[in-house]
Amino acid sequence: MKGIIFNLLEDVVVEIHGDAVWDALLDQSDLDGVYTSLGSYDDAEIMGLVSAAGNALSLTDDEVLRWFGRRAIPGMAKRWPAFFVAHQNTIPFLRTLNSVIHPEVRKLYAGAYCPHFDFTSPTDGSLLIGYRSPRQLCGLAHGFVLGAGDHYGEAVTVEHLECMREGDARCLLSVTVE
Amino acid sequence: MSADTGGVSHSQQVIDSLAAENKLLSRRIEREQRIRKEAEEIAEQGLRELYNRQRELEFLSQITTMANQAGSARELLASALEYISRFAGWSAAHAYIVGGQGATRRMWPSNIWYSDPGLDISALKAETAGAIFDEGVGLPGQVWRSGEPVWLEDLTTSDNFPRHEGAVQSGMRAAFSVPVLVESEIAASLEFFGPNPTPQDAALLGLTAKAGTQLSRVIERDSAKARLYDAMHDSLTGLPSRPHFMREVEQALREYSLDRTAGFGVLFVDLDRFKMINESLGHAAGDVLLTQVGARLKAAIKQGTIAELPNSGDSAALFARVGGDEFTLLVPRIRRPEEAFAVADRIHTVLSEPFRVEGHEVVTGASIGIALSSSEDRSADELVRHADMAMYHAKARGKARSEIYDSNMQDRATRRMALYSELRAAVDHEAFTVYYQPVVSLADDEIVGVEALVRWPVSPTTVRLPDEFIPAAEETGLIVPLGSWVLREACQALCRWNTTRGGRKPLTMSVNLSPRQLAQPDLVEEVRAIIADTGIPLGLLSLEITESMTMEDPDFAADVLNRLRALGIRISIDDFGTGFSCLSYLHRLPLQVLKIDRSFIARMETNMESLQIVNTIVALARSLGLEVIAEGAETIEEVERLRSMGCNFYQGFYGSPPVAEERLLLLLASSP
Repeated sequence: MKGIIFNLLEDVVVEIHGDAVWDALLDQSDLDGVYTSLGSYDDAEIMGLVSAAGNALSLTDDEVLRWFGRRAIPGMAKRWPAFFVAHQNTIPFLRTLNSVIHPEVRKLYAGAYCPHFDFTSPTDGSLLIGYRSPRQLCGLAHGFVLGAGDHYGEAVTVEHLECMREGDARCLLSVTVE
Repeated sequence: MSADTGGVSHSQQVIDSLAAENKLLSRRIEREQRIRKEAEEIAEQGLRELYNRQRELEFLSQITTMANQAGSARELLASALEYISRFAGWSAAHAYIVGGQGATRRMWPSNIWYSDPGLDISALKAETAGAIFDEGVGLPGQVWRSGEPVWLEDLTTSDNFPRHEGAVQSGMRAAFSVPVLVESEIAASLEFFGPNPTPQDAALLGLTAKAGTQLSRVIERDSAKARLYDAMHDSLTGLPSRPHFMREVEQALREYSLDRTAGFGVLFVDLDRFKMINESLGHAAGDVLLTQVGARLKAAIKQGTIAELPNSGDSAALFARVGGDEFTLLVPRIRRPEEAFAVADRIHTVLSEPFRVEGHEVVTGASIGIALSSSEDRSADELVRHADMAMYHAKARGKARSEIYDSNMQDRATRRMALYSELRAAVDHEAFTVYYQPVVSLADDEIVGVEALVRWPVSPTTVRLPDEFIPAAEETGLIVPLGSWVLREACQALCRWNTTRGGRKPLTMSVNLSPRQLAQPDLVEEVRAIIADTGIPLGLLSLEITESMTMEDPDFAADVLNRLRALGIRISIDDFGTGFSCLSYLHRLPLQVLKIDRSFIARMETNMESLQIVNTIVALARSLGLEVIAEGAETIEEVERLRSMGCNFYQGFYGSPPVAEERLLLLLASSP
């Protein structure tokens, strides 16, 4: 996992709960917390932090990821404004994930693994996002989608039609904008 | 107290100093965090730049490789458009090319496109194909005027993108374009289209502009080549050569597409009899003739004899030599066929005066094909091809004629090409058969000989007659092997029949000779070989020629015929009476037989003049000691009339139509 994700998590935790909470999470997870945006760190470390946060907040891992993803968006919009200003709505923005955002991510974080999303557009105007990743971070993706909705001021509903964590071959998120 | 006080103040001091230290440490941590973030940002920026520079290098090296390996500017543009589109993730791309000079200088669609697989941009392509831009107009015109890249964030809101309807129909919303500059002059522009409104990407624009600079080298090389062509003239005649001519026609077409009143014509001029002159007088003489023709045409253009001289600023008519004995003329400012025919007539006049070539007086002339500019002509090639096709028709109708192209010619040309290839295969496979028409003596009604006539069976029920394929065989030269084959077959057949005639007089055989065969330098040798191979006795074989065949070069014809005569071959002149029938000239040829054309025989019973002509020919032949054969006798009245005039022989349906060998043998058996 790229250090940037740790940094974003730290920012969100510190902003909402203060830096003592972040220190406590590091202690509980037995981590030294040295993360630079360009470094790569063990996936287990982020999951350890997520679990610790879940324990502290009485949330499941999935709920923590959603919360984190949603809250991380404003920071991302500040850090990479170009991706966000190119669109006026949530769905067109999401559709550029593979073609625009991922290449940019790879540009900065050489060797970064980026999940591939399959997009389909049912006639009702919703968006179906298929997601396959050994990391099974569909909760994070879910949170990012909600955060994007917040960013564009749209009420977005995300439904988890299929989920790898429940034995499906992939995750399938249905995104509807009211 | 003081201790207490001191204690309190000491504790307070400790607290204060801890607080100060805490504050200091917090500031230090905050500073360290900011340092970390700044360091990360610098590193990220460095990585981003490195990445971009690597991609840029890869991009430019790819474009450079393409430019170095490109065959032509068009090929290069096609591959570069595709590469840049894929590289930058844009969906479609096209190139505009600057063409024309002065007032007609415009941005022309090259119709070289790239579009993502599966993407239908036919509406944009169609609209672009008809969109020619002046400086400043449209996306290409803006690039032309500024010499700089232009970015259109949203085509639907741009007020200078006339093609927006086609673009939007094709799902395109954004575009950008970069110039291709050759020595700071615009030569082309590359334009790219994408499906979403897209804010300007300066890096992409800059990179694509660099690609444009790379491409310009190849365009420059191509146009230098074109200038070289322009400078190139045909070394023999000093006239412009084909590439120069084609470029001028392209330019005229461009002017015409901007201004439909600027019609023009292309004349395709092919010298008549050139091949024969070349073969009989030698190639050096042929070259001399071409030089003189070129000089005469050039002078005539200069004097305004052929086409009116231009006012200042207008372009003049242009003559070029485009092939062996082929010349082309581009005539500006003509719109109506009559005007073009008038120009063609003046060329006929200029060429009708004899030429002096190495002491010989040579009469040539030309067949002229005309094609006028029309909105259907897409290219200079097409227009010149049409003129060529019309010339072909003119030639087929005789010498010194002019024809204007019409669209049926294309169909006929296609059919003719099919016939050519069928004919070639038939000649290869000897898929022909020979029919024989009896020649009947008017003295005793006996069959004395036959005329061999070729037939082409194409199916069990269909047989093609000579009219349907002999002209094509003549044009392609296939008549030479076909004629030899017929001659050999006929001689062999005659030998077969004559061995079974018992005491009766041997039959004679008459075989037609075509103009092309007569012009063959080895004709006499070929005939000699066939006579030797088949063992046909002297005096039984006649070769038939037409009057017109001997007219072009009487000396040459007389020489060949005398040599054939020396082999013991009788020479007969076919369709006598239809040509000039010049007596003095007839006298120079070693003739034994005159054949009266069927048209006189057919009219003889109803038309006094025809009757008198037949009578005169028979009398003439008798006084010259020639035999006479009347062709096309169909009725008993005609036969009796001919008999009463003292005509020797007849051919015709009254005797028998041409028949296959088996049928002829039956006729011979029943002949008195």
